[in-house]
Amino acid sequence: MRLLIVEDDRKLADFVARGLRAERFAVDIAGDGLEGQRHLDAYQYDLLILDLMLPRSSGGELLRRVRRKQATLPVLVLTACDATEDKVRHFEAGADDYLTKPFDFAELLVRVRALLRRSPVERADVLRIADLELNRLTQQVCRGTLRIDLTAKEYGVLEYLMSSAGRVFSRSMILEHVWDQSFEGLTNIVDVYVRYLRRKIDDPFPLKLIHTVRGVGYCMRADDQAQDPGHG
Amino acid sequence: MNHRSLAFRLSVWYALLLSATFALVGAGMLYGLEQYLRANVGDSLRRRSVQVEQILQHSPAATTESAIGEAIETRVAPEFNNRFVRVTRAPATLVFRSGEPADRSFVAAAVPPQPEAVFSKAQVRPVATAYGRVMISSTPIDTASGKYLIELGTALEPIEALQYRLLSLLGLMLPVLVACAAAGGYLLVHSALRPVERMSHTAEQISVQDLEARLPVVPTGDALQRLAISLNHMLTRLRDSVQTSRRFLADASHELRTPLTVIKGELQELVATEVGRVEVRERIGSVLEEVARLEYLVSGLLVLSRLDAGDARRTWVDVNLGELAANTLEQMRLVAEDRGVQLQPTALSSLLVRGDSGRLKQVIVNLHDNAIKFTPRGGVVRLRTQQRDDYGILEVSDSGIGIPADALPHVFDRFYRVDAARSREDGGAGLGLSIVRSICSAHGVAIEVDSTPGRGSCFLLKFPLPALGSLPPAARPAEAPAEQIPPTGAPS
Repeated sequence: MRLLIVEDDRKLADFVARGLRAERFAVDIAGDGLEGQRHLDAYQYDLLILDLMLPRSSGGELLRRVRRKQATLPVLVLTACDATEDKVRHFEAGADDYLTKPFDFAELLVRVRALLRRSPVERADVLRIADLELNRLTQQVCRGTLRIDLTAKEYGVLEYLMSSAGRVFSRSMILEHVWDQSFEGLTNIVDVYVRYLRRKIDDPFPLKLIHTVRGVGYCMRADDQAQDPGHG
Repeated sequence: MNHRSLAFRLSVWYALLLSATFALVGAGMLYGLEQYLRANVGDSLRRRSVQVEQILQHSPAATTESAIGEAIETRVAPEFNNRFVRVTRAPATLVFRSGEPADRSFVAAAVPPQPEAVFSKAQVRPVATAYGRVMISSTPIDTASGKYLIELGTALEPIEALQYRLLSLLGLMLPVLVACAAAGGYLLVHSALRPVERMSHTAEQISVQDLEARLPVVPTGDALQRLAISLNHMLTRLRDSVQTSRRFLADASHELRTPLTVIKGELQELVATEVGRVEVRERIGSVLEEVARLEYLVSGLLVLSRLDAGDARRTWVDVNLGELAANTLEQMRLVAEDRGVQLQPTALSSLLVRGDSGRLKQVIVNLHDNAIKFTPRGGVVRLRTQQRDDYGILEVSDSGIGIPADALPHVFDRFYRVDAARSREDGGAGLGLSIVRSICSAHGVAIEVDSTPGRGSCFLLKFPLPALGSLPPAARPAEAPAEQIPPTGAPS
């Protein structure tokens, strides 16, 4: 899979490219709109990651030209504007997805994979980590033989964390997935829900499944060797 | 009518000055008239007195008193002429006294005798009688037959009547004239000040949100035109400076986002790869927490700058405020209970307002976040939506620590904290309430804050209602929480 990043901030482009290369993508970087256009003319890409604020030929212009020539190329737009009307405008101009800076790389990866339709995100009806089982159809959660009652939001958080075991989910990803942006930064709402979730899922059992990655967020995995100090 | 207004004070001064002038002129007129009339009467009395004097001078010494009287009757005819005539020989012998006048303007018999002194000097003076005042000219003469005093008089009543008539006319006209003049003056000043009123009215309408409006400039060439022009110049400078600061805020928060992404990404990668010692990762984690706060701050500033620019109107729809509040509170319930605070939505009627649903939700979240933060364990945060008169009311009250009176005007200021140490510990950036205010002013919503330190605070939002009014009761959302959460301290 070959990806093109059109981003004028070299460091940001490098950081995204490095992360994507680690996920075994082939990544090219273009520093402005014209260079991006030359890359697009020269190579066949599977995905375009496009910053909207670019020197020489704006991102929006490039987006419209891409849509005229390669209607099916998935485009993930990066921008510093997160107003709803801007999003609507760029979706109309042909963006497939939209990511607002500052974003989490994990979030970018989820979006890229979703756009390329090769997401390893668990789609199964029943999710399992160790002896914890979550049934998406009946919305029932069991640990071993014990049935656990969860509220709607607790279930939402757990399902999201279990959808990709071992991956770190940032607070803002959880917030946006289970709640919405209105709650961003104001409250420790995610931490509170994870704490309640832990009381039900982890506290009565010796094997802890929910792990805190300080400064990043939470992840679920079965190995208990790396005890994280944030867990209390 | 405002008693301290310029127009009113000018009119009062005007009226006072006018009354004083009128009073002076009136008094002068009355006095002058009196003097003139008395002099006239005096002259006519003296002329008659000369006739009587001639009779006395030309009568032989032996002429009887009745002959003198006859001569006076014939020449002067005092009764017919309404005159009083009395001739006295010194020291006090009454020679002649006229009878009662034809018009009965005085009573001749009631005129008192003159004192001794008048024999020495001719004079004209009013004499009070029991039946009104009489003007008397007394002339002493020496004749061959001895010393006489000739007195000629006439009633003062016609002069007094004239004076009285003039006085009452003046007394009647003065207040009417002054009132008319004062009213005219008031209207004149008022109309002269009308352009100023228009200017101040327009100036009132110009808010920070809309600095494009300008004062009307009427080309009168006077001070008012110059005032309007200078105020308009000032408004232009104000707009430029507001725009500059807004653009700076927007640009700054924009520009911070890219480096923040890089910092966050690189650090998260370091933590996630799990290389290095635990302590190092702990420290990076701590830095990341600060980055998250910075991130929130930057996005808050961007929200504010966008609201300042006034682009909230574009996504307005009908929003059911009651339902929105109920749903939002549902999502915050656990956070509140985690801090031992009860959320109590009471009388949650559905209420339809126009606005941006996402932004209005932000208002509810921020108000509750604030209330929960400053309410100690065991406290209550109440929400009430209702329709009152032509307004939709959303009220959030808490039983928290309250806001001191001197801090109350500043709670909506950016970065303002009542208790800096306390709220920074809570991770607050001091932007929550200023975002509330910006969203509210974009929606034309008035905010009232009421607070008693130690008892709690109340934020009251007044939404202008769209023409539709409230939804029927059938559309009301459930008032009981759908999600049953165990009370704090006893989670199962």
